[in-house]
Amino acid sequence: MPTRRVFLQNLIRGGILAGLGLLTGSLVFRSRKGGTCRLNISCNACSKNGSCTLVPAFETRQFVWQLDPSKCIQCGRCATECVHTPSAVKCVHVYAMCGYCDLCGGYFKPDTKTLNTGAENQLCPTSAIKRSFIEDPFFEYTIDENLCIGCGKCVKGCGAFGNGSLQLQIRHHICDNCNECAIARKCPAGAFSRVPATSPYLLKGFGKQPLSGDKTGGPESF
Amino acid sequence: MKSKIIIIAAIVMLIAIMGYMAWDLFLSAPPEAKNPWEYKVGDLKRVDSSILNYIEMKPFKPEMEEVHGVDVDSSGTIYVVGKNRVGIFGRDGNLKNSFPISGIGTCITMRNQLIYVGILDHIELFNMSGDRIKRWKRTAPGSVITSIAVNGNDVFLADAGNKMVYRYTAAGKLLNRIGQKDTVQNIPGFVIPSPYFDLAIGKDRTLWVVNPGRHSFEHYTMEGHLLNSWGSASNSTAGFCGCCNPTNFALLNDGSFVTSEKGIERIKIYSNEGVYRELVATPEMFAEGVKGLDLAVDPQGRILVLDPAKNQVRVFVRK
Ligand code: SF4
Ligand code: SF4
Ligand code: SF4
Repeated sequence: MPTRRVFLQNLIRGGILAGLGLLTGSLVFRSRKGGTCRLNISCNACSKNGSCTLVPAFETRQFVWQLDPSKCIQCGRCATECVHTPSAVKCVHVYAMCGYCDLCGGYFKPDTKTLNTGAENQLCPTSAIKRSFIEDPFFEYTIDENLCIGCGKCVKGCGAFGNGSLQLQIRHHICDNCNECAIARKCPAGAFSRVPATSPYLLKGFGKQPLSGDKTGGPESF
Repeated sequence: MKSKIIIIAAIVMLIAIMGYMAWDLFLSAPPEAKNPWEYKVGDLKRVDSSILNYIEMKPFKPEMEEVHGVDVDSSGTIYVVGKNRVGIFGRDGNLKNSFPISGIGTCITMRNQLIYVGILDHIELFNMSGDRIKRWKRTAPGSVITSIAVNGNDVFLADAGNKMVYRYTAAGKLLNRIGQKDTVQNIPGFVIPSPYFDLAIGKDRTLWVVNPGRHSFEHYTMEGHLLNSWGSASNSTAGFCGCCNPTNFALLNDGSFVTSEKGIERIKIYSNEGVYRELVATPEMFAEGVKGLDLAVDPQGRILVLDPAKNQVRVFVRK
């Protein structure tokens, strides 16, 4: 009888210990998940060496993260989930698809009465889109990437009312090419994938084309 | 006995707690985040359908891929063109004849017992049995023929690729170009950001052409002199929305205009002076994002809408 009791006591102790172990483990895991490591791994090399050698190493890999604009539903997470603030995702303008419209669905709020550049008329929350007159009736729209937060509002407007020439893309001169892209983890549309670093953009309607100013290089086509 | 029960209960509780922790850690979905920048395009599309004076009748399926063009002749016979095929239907949608074409049919019209079919960059003429009578030469490099209208011996082609209207003889000889920008004649030039460019012959035998990038209708003589124009850009029901609208139109028997739009998918009627009259169909009646709702009006005034998303000819009649 005492042997059985001892066994049961040990079982309970073991159970409590395992439970505590799991609890501690989960807390450690959670703190890691919300931590600051861009690659989201717990190697602790930065705390030992004072600097991280892994991020540059990952940047030289042959594949980079990119989102497919034809799958994107403009959920807003590209603006909120990136390890960078503002996000490494920006609106890019595929000029070859643009109608240079006066009434641009990506620039103007839907209830705009007079088509001018007044802040109250602009759809973009950060006024990152510049509108310039070309010739009657054409206007050109350019994105100031320093202001763009990648929210996708203009992309939705352009897709609904225009030709869909405004598209979200990860800009590789900003992106750290994290081991696991923080946005990809949360993207409800499954729009993220790794693409060859030699053709790092996935533009709707025009296939994979390089954009200017990238670490990944390529001729300037925009 | 009592302590045994306590021990068993404690073990069960522990297992349950551990199970919950494991589920919470690995399996539970993160809570749905609200999008602070959400653009609710759908709000613009909500219209009270009780204001409509038209009702939708039973539609019919033309049974072909990628439908693009519809027309009706004076007897009420309906002609539909799509990818690789033309279909001829009776008033109730019963198939009368169908024949193959080689390519994507972009537009269609029937006059003088001849069926004119736009096939991307050129047109072909067929008799009612589907025998090809003639194939015209490509209009111009880069042509995309999106509309055909016949007026006596004149054939008008809308070329979205070259932003131009061409006037031909019935024998296929080019007579003149219409709509080129001309500041002396006050012709603004066609602005066509996407491949939707429609035209029709008015009651007075003059030519009406949509200038979609300017959200207007332009009224021309056969020789290409601009008579007048009307239209305005707006998301409100009275205007034409988005970058370039209307995409398609047809003329009612009293000369007023039936128009279709993309972006805010809707069918509307304007008087022959261009004053907004009423809605025929609301955005909620169409699949989101559908473009190129081609229109035709039959001799009884029924409005036929070719819906490429549903692959149907939809019929609207006045209540
Ligand atoms: S997270 Fe996905 S769906 Fe959301 S905006 Fe980014 S790419 Fe689009
Ligand atoms: S609306 Fe959003 S995605 Fe578009 S330019 Fe402005 S910040 Fe960038
Ligand atoms: S890989 Fe990293 S830096 Fe690049 S977009 Fe994703 S989260 Fe941002």
